[in-house]
Amino acid sequence: IKLISDAGFQAEITSISTAAQQLEVFSRVLKTSIASFLTNPEDWQNTSKECAKMVCHGQHTYVYSQVIIHVLARESKGGSSMKRLSQEITKCAQKNGHDVTPITMALNGASAYPLACQALTSMLSKNTLNPADITVLYRNYNAPDPPPIDLIRTPQFLELLIDALFKPGVKLNPDHKPKYIHLLAYAASVYEMQAKKGQKRVVNKDELQATIHSIETVHNICNTNKGSSELMAELATLYQCLRYPVVSVGIIRWVECTVTEASYFKLSTEHTPIHLALLDEVVTCHPLLHNQVLDLLIRLFESKQDELEILVQLEMRKMVLDRMVNLLCAGCVVPVVKYIKQCWQKGDTDISLIRYFVTEVLETIGPPYSSEFVHLFMPMVENDEITGTMRGDGENDPVSEFIVYCKANYTAVV
Amino acid sequence: MANVRDSDTSLWLHNKLGISNDSWTGGSICSQLNAEVLRNIKDCFPDLQTQVKLKLLLSFFHIPRRNLEEWKLELEQILDVAVADSELWVAMLAEALKTYPSTGSLNTEISDLDEVRPIFTDLVTDLRKLVRKQAENVMLPMECHYLNKSALVSVVGHKPEPTKHFTIKKKQKSAILRADLLQKSSDAASNLKKS
Repeated sequence: IKLISDAGFQAEITSISTAAQQLEVFSRVLKTSIASFLTNPEDWQNTSKECAKMVCHGQHTYVYSQVIIHVLARESKGGSSMKRLSQEITKCAQKNGHDVTPITMALNGASAYPLACQALTSMLSKNTLNPADITVLYRNYNAPDPPPIDLIRTPQFLELLIDALFKPGVKLNPDHKPKYIHLLAYAASVYEMQAKKGQKRVVNKDELQATIHSIETVHNICNTNKGSSELMAELATLYQCLRYPVVSVGIIRWVECTVTEASYFKLSTEHTPIHLALLDEVVTCHPLLHNQVLDLLIRLFESKQDELEILVQLEMRKMVLDRMVNLLCAGCVVPVVKYIKQCWQKGDTDISLIRYFVTEVLETIGPPYSSEFVHLFMPMVENDEITGTMRGDGENDPVSEFIVYCKANYTAVV
Repeated sequence: MANVRDSDTSLWLHNKLGISNDSWTGGSICSQLNAEVLRNIKDCFPDLQTQVKLKLLLSFFHIPRRNLEEWKLELEQILDVAVADSELWVAMLAEALKTYPSTGSLNTEISDLDEVRPIFTDLVTDLRKLVRKQAENVMLPMECHYLNKSALVSVVGHKPEPTKHFTIKKKQKSAILRADLLQKSSDAASNLKKS
C-alpha cells in the first residue's frame, strides 16, 4: 500500500482500513479527498460526504483530520469552506453514534471558559437540552465578560434550540423558556467587532431585543395549536418576523413537522395551505435557506399520498411545483432545474407534472438567459413528449419562442 | 487496581482495548483510572499493541475535567513516552494531545517531532494553497443560516451577487397568492376582533 501511495496513485487505494494503518498513506489519501472537496464546489455535498466517511473510519483518523482542517479553517480567505467541511464530518460521526463532543470542544477554544464549556458539553453529548445547563449558559452570556459567541453557534446546539422552540408538541417550562429564546437570539444577532490593539473586544447587541421579540412571537403562534382562520389572522405578523433568518429556520422546522404528518393534505381544504405559503416567504427573504426549503419540497413531491385520489394527488404535486417555480424565480435556479430534469430522466414522474413545470417556467421568465440555464433547461423544452402538445403551428407559443430565441443566441450551447 | 504489577496492567488494557479493530473508544476504562494505575500504564506503555496505545490515548477525551487536572502529571508522563513511539500514529496523536491535560485544548502546532512534522506540515502547506484559491463563500459554515445580516457580514463578509439566469417577465403564481393571502389575513384579523 505504501508503494502504491508513494507512486502517487491515491485514488487506487480504495480500502480505507488499509490506508488508515499508516499515517503517511492516510495523509495522502486525506489530501486527495480534501482537494477534491475544494476543487469541485458544485459537487461539494458529495465530496464532503466521501471525505467524512473516510475521516470517521477511526477515532485516530478523526482527531488527526479535524486538527488539520481546524488549522486550515483559520485562513481568512477560503477558511469558511473548511469550517463547513469540519462540521459535515462532525455530523457524520454523530450519525454513526460516536460522541465527538469532547474533541469538538478541545478545538473550539471552549476550555478557556470552563463553566460554559461544561454546560455545553453535557447537553451536546446527550443531544438534549436541560434547564440547568441552559441557565448556566444564560448567566455566562449575560455576565460582563461573556464567552466567545462561536460556542453557542455550534450547529448542533442551534438545532436543539430550534427543535425545543418550534417543533410542534414540545413543552418547555415557562420559567426557563425566556432563557432558551434569549440564547438563540443572542447567537443569531450579536456579533463581536475586531478589537483594536490593547482594547477589550466589543460586543454589538443592537439587534438582540428585536430578535428575541420575533422569536417569542412566532414561537407563541406555532406552539399553540391554532385553527386555520386564527393562523390566517396572524399571517401578516408571521411575514414580518420571517425577516429574521433564525425565525425562518424555526418556521421551516415547524412547517416540516406539520406538513409531513400523514393526513395533512387529506385534511387540507385550501389549494395552497398556509404552511407552504410561508415557505414562499422564507425563500424570498433568505437565499441561504433555499437548499433547506428545496429539500423539504422534494420530500413532499416524492411523498406517498395514498389516501388522496389520483387526481387530487396530481393537484397537490402541482402545488408543490408552484413552490419550486417560486424558488427558481428567487434565484435557486440550477438545483431546481437539475432536480426536475433528473425526475424526467429517471422516468418515474408523471410526465404531465414535468410539462406543468416547464409551462410555468416558460410563462414566467424571459431573456436574456445564462448559457448554464439554457444548457440545463433546453432538453426538456425540446422534448416532444413534454412539450409536443403545447406547440402551435407558428412560432407564437412560449415553447417555440424559447427554442427559436436560444438557437439564434446560444449557438455554442444548443 | 491499586497494587497491580506492570504485566497485569498491560493484560488488563489489552483485554479492555485490544479486542475490536475499531479505534473508536467509549472511554469505559476511565472509571477505573487513578494516579497509580496511570503510573503503571506509563511503565508498560512501550510494550502495548499499537491499537491499544491509540485507544488508550483516545480515551483521554472521556476523562472528566476535574480528573484531568488531578492526574495532569501522570497523563503528561504517558504522553511524553508516547511522543517517542516508533509508530507514527501514536506519536502524532500524543503530540496533538500534549496540551490537553493542562489546558483542555488540543495542540495544533505539530512542530516538535522530526518524523511527524514533515507529514503534517507538507499536508497543511499543500492544502493551504488550495484553500486560498477558493471562490468566496461557496460553502458557508452551518451557523450562517441563522445569522442576522450584520452578524453574517461580521463572520464571512459580503456575499457576491448571484448569477442572473433570466429575467422575470410575469409575476409567478406565488406572488399573486401572497397578495391574496395578506388580504385574507387582514379580513380574518378584523373578523376575530369583531367576534
